[in-house]
Amino acid sequence: MNRWLLPVALLGATAAAGAAARAGPAQDYALHCMGCHGASAQGVPGKVPPLAHSLVRFMNNAEGRRYVLRVPGAANSMLSDAQLAAVLNWVVAQFDADELGSATPQFREQEVAANRHTPMAGVLATRAAVLKEIAAIGPAPATEY
Amino acid sequence: MQRLDRIVESSARSLAQRTSRRSFIGVLGRILTGSLLIPLLPIDRIQRAEAATGPEGSPAKGKSAGKPYTEDQQNCEYWKYCAIDGFLCSCCGGSSHSCPPGTQQSVVSWIGTCHNPADGRDYIVSYNDCCGKASCGNCDCYRNERERPLYRLSRNNDVNWCMANTGSDYHCTVSVILGSSGP
Repeated sequence: MNRWLLPVALLGATAAAGAAARAGPAQDYALHCMGCHGASAQGVPGKVPPLAHSLVRFMNNAEGRRYVLRVPGAANSMLSDAQLAAVLNWVVAQFDADELGSATPQFREQEVAANRHTPMAGVLATRAAVLKEIAAIGPAPATEY
Repeated sequence: MQRLDRIVESSARSLAQRTSRRSFIGVLGRILTGSLLIPLLPIDRIQRAEAATGPEGSPAKGKSAGKPYTEDQQNCEYWKYCAIDGFLCSCCGGSSHSCPPGTQQSVVSWIGTCHNPADGRDYIVSYNDCCGKASCGNCDCYRNERERPLYRLSRNNDVNWCMANTGSDYHCTVSVILGSSGP
């Protein structure tokens, strides 16, 4: 079970979107991300990585930004490039506001399009390398995933 | 009585004199063939069938825009179960939205949207599994609207959502309304 649990969790395999009209990033988060990452983006300890107090730290690093856009749950979601950018920006504004500095660049549609289609072969290894780089200059996201 | 016999006899003889047996067999054949073709005519019979019975043959309990729906939360056709795949907890000692005693609600879930015919609105529904006991086995309900095949993993519901719980045994599934959907 554990061998495939993490990839599934990373994929955020929750979305059963619907015929419902698009109503912005909050609803997209509920439909496509919340099932695994939780209503407060808190994740599940040891199983599902949190986005709260985590995503913003990836956003402040060039490799971290690429990682976030290529991780399977984001890259393979049913969201369009613009919707994915909007959801990620909404998550940091909603759950990382205290760490979100004015210098943190928002995700843009073009940046999503340029990165999400490059497959990530080793999610865990990539994450570990990115975390090491982030930790060298400041607080890093959780490492146990 | 004799008069009736005479009337029947005379009409039968008259008919026999006016028509041949071959003609009779031909007409009968045309009628039989024609009646067999009637069900093949392109007529929409869905509404008539739904009006006659509720879902799964149960009596309809409500109507919205002329379409019947059930309000029985132990019936798989209940509106909130539109994207469910599992045993209904309402048949397993819990309710449609709460786990039976002795089980724990899954910390991850499948999320869908369902249309409530009673008020005409769409709702976001979280389908949480109840974990920690063996399968309930009652009221198996497979609807999974808008689910996609396994190769679209992010939209496939063939998952034991108890996987992130301490006890990963699957018992049944609840449907929790998270809010209304749409603009």
